[in-house]
Amino acid sequence: MFSYYLRLALKSIRRNPILSALMITAIGLGIGASMTTITVNYLMSANPIPHKSDQLFYVQLDSWSPFEPANEPNEPPDQMTWTDATNLMKAKKAFRQTAMASSGGVVEPQGQDEKPYMASIRLAFADFFPMFDAPFLYGSSWQSSADDNRDYVVVISKSTNDRVFGGKNSVGETIRIVGKNFRVIGVLNDWLLVPRFYDVTTGAFGETEEIFMPFYMKQELEMTNSGNTNCWKSPEGEGFQAFLQSECVNFQMWVELRNDDEKAQYMDFMNNYVNEQKALGRFPRPLNNRLSNVMEWMENQEVVADDAQIMMWVSFMFLLVCLLNTIGLLLSKFSGKAAEIGLRRAVGASKSDLFIQHTVETAVIGVAGGILGLGLAFVGLEGIKTLYGEFVQNLVGLDMTMVASAILLALISSILAGVYPTWRACNIEPASQLKSQ
Amino acid sequence: MNINKWEIGPIFRALMRNKVGAVLIAIQIAVTMTIIVNSIFIIIERSKLMQRESGIDDANSFYITNTGFGDEFDSKATTIADLELIRNTPGVIDAVQINAIPNSGSGWSMSFQTEPGENKEDQGAAIYMVDEHATKALDIEVIAGEDFTPSDVRWRENGTRDWPDTVLITKVLAESLFPDTPWQEAVGKTMYISQTEPMIIKGIVDKIQAPWVGWSDLEHSVLTPEITQFSSTRYFIRTQAGERDRLMPEIEEALASANKQRIIRGLRSVEETRERSYRGDAAMIKILSTTMVILTIVTALGIVGLASFSVNRRKKQIGTRRALGASQSAIVRYFMLENFLISSVGVIIGAVLTIGLNMVLVNVFSLPSLDWYFVPAGMLVLWLVGQIAVFGPAKKAANIPPALATRTV
Amino acid sequence: MLTMHNVKKIFRTDLVETHALRDFNLQVDEGDFVAVTGPSGSGKTTFLNIAGLLETFEGGTYELDGKNVSNLSDKQRSQLRNEKIGFIFQSFNLIPDLDLFDNVDVPLRYRGFNSAERKKRIENSLELVGLANRMKHLPSQLSGGQQQRVAIARALAGSPRFLLADEPTGNLDTKMALSVMELLKEINDTGTTIVMVTHDQDLAKQAKRNIYVRDGQVSELSEVVSLEHAANA
Repeated sequence: MFSYYLRLALKSIRRNPILSALMITAIGLGIGASMTTITVNYLMSANPIPHKSDQLFYVQLDSWSPFEPANEPNEPPDQMTWTDATNLMKAKKAFRQTAMASSGGVVEPQGQDEKPYMASIRLAFADFFPMFDAPFLYGSSWQSSADDNRDYVVVISKSTNDRVFGGKNSVGETIRIVGKNFRVIGVLNDWLLVPRFYDVTTGAFGETEEIFMPFYMKQELEMTNSGNTNCWKSPEGEGFQAFLQSECVNFQMWVELRNDDEKAQYMDFMNNYVNEQKALGRFPRPLNNRLSNVMEWMENQEVVADDAQIMMWVSFMFLLVCLLNTIGLLLSKFSGKAAEIGLRRAVGASKSDLFIQHTVETAVIGVAGGILGLGLAFVGLEGIKTLYGEFVQNLVGLDMTMVASAILLALISSILAGVYPTWRACNIEPASQLKSQ
Repeated sequence: MNINKWEIGPIFRALMRNKVGAVLIAIQIAVTMTIIVNSIFIIIERSKLMQRESGIDDANSFYITNTGFGDEFDSKATTIADLELIRNTPGVIDAVQINAIPNSGSGWSMSFQTEPGENKEDQGAAIYMVDEHATKALDIEVIAGEDFTPSDVRWRENGTRDWPDTVLITKVLAESLFPDTPWQEAVGKTMYISQTEPMIIKGIVDKIQAPWVGWSDLEHSVLTPEITQFSSTRYFIRTQAGERDRLMPEIEEALASANKQRIIRGLRSVEETRERSYRGDAAMIKILSTTMVILTIVTALGIVGLASFSVNRRKKQIGTRRALGASQSAIVRYFMLENFLISSVGVIIGAVLTIGLNMVLVNVFSLPSLDWYFVPAGMLVLWLVGQIAVFGPAKKAANIPPALATRTV
Repeated sequence: MLTMHNVKKIFRTDLVETHALRDFNLQVDEGDFVAVTGPSGSGKTTFLNIAGLLETFEGGTYELDGKNVSNLSDKQRSQLRNEKIGFIFQSFNLIPDLDLFDNVDVPLRYRGFNSAERKKRIENSLELVGLANRMKHLPSQLSGGQQQRVAIARALAGSPRFLLADEPTGNLDTKMALSVMELLKEINDTGTTIVMVTHDQDLAKQAKRNIYVRDGQVSELSEVVSLEHAANA
C-alpha cells in the first residue's frame, strides 16, 4: 500500500506543480535558514572533548582588587598571575595539571631559502598533551623533569614540521626559536579543536598553536605576552621579572580531576592556598575560587556568540512562517481534492486510509523541501564564510548528523504542518462531494 | 461614498465562518512583522556603529609590523633608520611609530583618575605611544593646548613601568574626567595613572578612537610621547590621496631589504582593519536584510496563494454577485477589504509580538530597546504588503464573468 | 438484501430542522432493480446516502444483507462499502489525473487484493463496459457516456452484491443514457441488486420495480403503470 500512496503523492504533486513548488520552496527556505544557523550554533557549542570534558577543570582564583570585582557581578578574573600559576603547579595536587600562556616568537628555519617568520607559541607543562588528548604524529610529549629543568625542548605542529623540516620525522632535530636552539621532542598531527577550549580568552575559535614550549621559558627567555594582560594594580618595580611578580593576570590553568572527591579535595587545597596568601597580604577579596569543567567554562565565557543565537531564533521564526504558509497551501490543495476524497470514501477507504495517504503526500513534500533546504544550508554556510572570513572556517561544516537532522526536521515540520489540512480533508462528508458539484 | 457599499459587516461574518485560512494569514503577518521590525532595528543600530568615525585618515593610511630577532638586533637604531626611510619616501605625508592601531582590536588601556590614591573614581582610556609626528601622521588636530615637541619624547624600554610627564588626551576623555568644567580647561591640569603617578595634560585632540570597537568608551584615548624599544614595533604611515596602494608593497620591500635582522609582517591598510573589526556587524546586516526580503516574499506568496484559492472556491458566488449588479471594482474592493481586515488582526498581534521579542532581546542579549515609531511603521508596511499581494487575485476575481452564475460547473 | 424500518434523518442548522427522512420503510430483495423517483428535496439522495453507508441516521433500523449497520465504526462501514456496495454517480466522479486502469483500481486497493487479482478484475470489468482497449487513457479523453461506463466498471470491479446509482444518466444525452441503462440491466441480469435514483420517468419504467419518495417517506409503492398514471395526472 505504501508504494501506492507514494505513487498517488507524486501524481498529486505533479497535478499542481506551482502550488507544490511553492510548498517545497517554503519548507526548503525555512529548513535552509534554520540548518545554517543551527550548524553554526551547534559547532560553537560543541563539546570539543566529550569523553573527559567533566574531568577537566579551569581554575580561577579571585586575586582581584579590594574595591571592585574583576567582572560584574562578582566574577573572579578569567586568568591567573604568574605567582599563583607557578605555586599551584609546584603543589601538584591534581591528577594532572598545566598552567599555560600564549606567546609568539620568530622562528629561523635552517635552509637558506626559508625566511624567518613569526610563530604562535603556547607555553605549557608536560601534562598539557595527555590532558587534552593532543595527537602525536612523531615522538611524544616532553618529560615532567624537562619542565623543572627548563630544558630547551619543543613540540611542534604538523604545519611547522612541514615548513621547517619538509614534513620528515624531525624528532631530535634542532629548531631555532627566539634566537635560541631547541630540540624537537614531538610533532603533533593535525589538531583541530572547535572551540579551542583550552584558551578562549582571545576568542574561542582560533587555531591551535604552531609551537609548544615548557612554561618556565616565559621567565627564562622573557617571552612576550600574548592574549590579554589585565592588572588591577601596577607592577612594583621595573623590568620583566617585576611584571611576573605583579598582580597582572595573563596565565591560564587547567587541572584534571577524576571524580567528585578529587574535585572537592582540590577545591579545599585552592581555598587553603588563598588563605595562606592572604596571610602574606595578597588576595584582598573574600574567598571566591572556581573550578569549572569544560562545558561550564564555555558557558561562562559565552563562547556561543550573541549574534549567532539571535540569528538562530530569527531563523526558527522564519521556519514558522514558512510552515504556516505550507499549512495554508496544503489546505487549498486538499480542499481541491474534496471530490476525490469523497469518491475514495464511497468506494470503501476509511478515514485512516486517507489520513495515511495524505500524510505520505506531505512527507514527500517535506523530504523534497528538506533536500532543497540542505542545498540552501550549504549555500548559506558558504555565505557565512564569505561574510565572516577565515575565522569562522571551522564553524561552517555540515556533518552527517546535521544532514540527517535537516531531513528529519523537514520531515517532522512538514508532517506537523500537514496534520490539520489532512485531518480536515479526511473529515469531508463523502456524501456532500458526490452529488454534481 | 456610501459606507454600506463597503460590506464590512458581511465580509467579517463570512470570514468568521472560514476562520482557519484567515487566522493562518494573520499569524504569518504577525510573525513576519515581528521579524522585520526587530531586524530593521538591529540593522539600523549596527549601521550607526559602523558609521562612527575613527578620527584618523582611514582612507590613506596603513601600518606594518617590525619584529627583530637575534642578538645583533638594535631596536633603537632600527626605528630611527626606518622612520627616516619612510618619512623621506615620496608620497608619504608622515609616519609615526605607534604601539596600537585604532579599531584594530588589540591595544593597551589604563585607568586615569583626577585625584591620586586607591579606590578613586577613574576613567579607562586607550594608550597610544607616539612621537611629535603623531598629529600629522594620524590626521588629528590639537584643539586646545599644545602639541608634543621633540623634547617631550622619550625612549621606552621593555619593562619600563613609569610614564611620561605630559600627555595629549581626546576631547571626550577630557569631558569624562572633568565633567564640571568646559573641556578646554582640562589643559594644564594633572591626572593620575597607576593611581598615583601624575601626568600633565599638555593638549586636547579632537578625536582618535580606541582599538576596541565594542568598547563603550571608544573615544577615550591618551597619547603619550615615547618611542618604544621593544623587539616588536609598528609603523603607522599616512600617504597622499591615492598613493596608499602603491606605497604599501614599496615600503614593505624597502624595510625588509634595509635590515635583515628582523621580519617585516602584518602589512594592512586602516580601511581593511576597520572592515575586519566591523565584519560581524556587516555580516549581521546582510544576513538580516536577506532574511527580511525572503520572508516578505514568502508571506506575500502565501497571501497570493490563499487568496487565489479563495477566489477559485468562490467563483460561482462571485459570478452571482456580478449577475446581481456588483461592479468589477466592487469585487476588487471586497477582496482588498477582506485582506485589510485580516492584516489588521495580524499587525495588531504583530505589534505585541514585536515588542515582546524586543524585550527578550533586551533582556537576554542586552540590545537597546526599540524606538516606539518602529511599531506603527512596521504595521503600515505589512498592511501595504498584504494589499499589494491580494491585488492580483482580486483582479482575477473581478474578471469572472457574471454568466458563470447560471452555469453548473 | 436491504431492509429499512422507520429510518429517520434530520438536518439541523442554527435556525431550522429539516426532516429529510421520516419513518422511511423499504425492503429491497436480492436481484431486484429498484428505481426511486420523487421531486427535488423529497429525500431521494438522503435515502441513497444512508443506503450506501455514506451518512448516518437517527432512528429506526437498517439491515444490509441481513446485518444491522446502525452502530458500526467508520472502519467497519468503510469495509462494508468496499465489499458489498458499488456506487455510480451523476457526475461520474472519476479522478482526473488517474488513467482508466488506476481509476478502476481505486476500490480494489482498499480491498487489499494482490496485484495479479487486481489486474484481472480491472481488465474484466473494463472489458464488460467495452473500454478494455483504452485502459491507459485519462478520463478527460473520453466522452460522457464512456466516462460513466468507466465509473460502472469501477463499481463492479469489486463484485459488489449491491449497486447504488444516483442519477446515473443525468449528465448524458438520451442515446448515451439508453446505452448506460442497457448496461445496468445486463448487470442486474447477472444477479447484482440495483437501486437507482432518477427523475427520468422513462428510465424508471425500465426498472423492475418503482418507488416514489415524497417528504421523506415512501409515499407510494406501485407498479409501473399506475406510476405513469400518477405522473400524467
